[in-house]
Amino acid sequence: MCKCWHVLLAAGLILLATVLVPALQAHPMDEQNAAFVQAVEGVAIFPFMYLGAKHMVTGYDHLLFLVGVIFFLYRLKDVVLYVSLFTLGHSVTLLVGVLGNIGANAYVVDAIIGLSVAYKAFDNMGGFERLLQVRPNPKAAVLVFGLFHGFGLATKVQEFTLSETGLIANMLSFNVGVEIGQILALTMVLIGFGYWRGRSSFQRHAFATNAALMTAGFILAGNQMLGYVFYS
Amino acid sequence: MTHSNDAPSARNIALASAAAFIVAVMAVVTVVLPAEYGIDPLGTGGALGLLGLSRVQPIGPEDAAYNTDALELELAPTEWAELTYRLEEGSGMLFSWEATGAVSFNFHSAPDGAPPGYAESFDAEEVDQANGSYTAPFTGIHGWYWENRGSDYVTIRMSTAGFYSEAHEARDRVDGFRPLRNARGEPLERPDE
Repeated sequence: MCKCWHVLLAAGLILLATVLVPALQAHPMDEQNAAFVQAVEGVAIFPFMYLGAKHMVTGYDHLLFLVGVIFFLYRLKDVVLYVSLFTLGHSVTLLVGVLGNIGANAYVVDAIIGLSVAYKAFDNMGGFERLLQVRPNPKAAVLVFGLFHGFGLATKVQEFTLSETGLIANMLSFNVGVEIGQILALTMVLIGFGYWRGRSSFQRHAFATNAALMTAGFILAGNQMLGYVFYS
Repeated sequence: MTHSNDAPSARNIALASAAAFIVAVMAVVTVVLPAEYGIDPLGTGGALGLLGLSRVQPIGPEDAAYNTDALELELAPTEWAELTYRLEEGSGMLFSWEATGAVSFNFHSAPDGAPPGYAESFDAEEVDQANGSYTAPFTGIHGWYWENRGSDYVTIRMSTAGFYSEAHEARDRVDGFRPLRNARGEPLERPDE
């Protein structure tokens, strides 16, 4: 039996969402936020914490990736393990990126983050196991993509920061905020999954949902690649 | 990985992945490209009315009258002066000022109906010149405050242009708000008096 119509339905919904969301920037460049934080000289712990949390909760590339990662994680122990690996990954590159003043191109990083969503969805569909016969270690993959997400975060902090004063404190505040936002987002996603997994529709629609997730990941990546072409 | 009895076949995975990719490319070309970048290769952006989204509107018409002012203020040591302008929310003005010496200044605004003494400060520094544009975040009084904390006389030249309806000058000596005295309590003299 072909499940193509499921895929088409899900993709149609994604397409609709794309039309409804007028600006497809994953992270709308928060101009007022940036102006405010840049006007602040030195340490601004709570503003940066807030920005970190906001970046995570409103950045649907991070959210979709988390959805993909925990899609088939049924035990809390596994959720904690994978999310910790992701956190470890992005914290390392956030630190290295900001302290080493490594300016990664935001469009390239965001395109890779979009592709990480597609990658995880493909993995969830069983693509690596059944289609390619080789499945990269999923824990290592989450760690590696965590590293890329961290470069995105580092770029964000650098965008917000003009002065060197209080850079480390601000960056750590941003990181703490990111983790708070991640816990908030994760809680919402887990509540949703807890509800959905108890129903028979979960098994029926899991495949199509991951196909939709993959579509969304490709759209995010495509948009960022265009951004790189036109704005960089 | 799917823990399902009827696990998807390799063929279905390939089909679904290809479909996901094709749908994504279609969405990017037909919707994202026109909406975000103003490029409309298939005419879908025009048909869906998406082309305006990426267009920046560079001109914002104003209803209020256009005013320009240029004036000079001389500040004795410890003296302060304030220039305030009445702006409607969203109205803008350009400003440029320079002083013959460093003065302490701040830019502040008070919305209409705010309690006396209430002001939001946007900028506060010890500099000798500043210029830029200002868009009022709310209807009210917006203005600059300078204080000469040095020991020399300072002259400030200010020019403004914009859509403010009133411009006011307030200073201690004119208003008699805080007569200037030296450490012995004697009135401070200005060189031209």
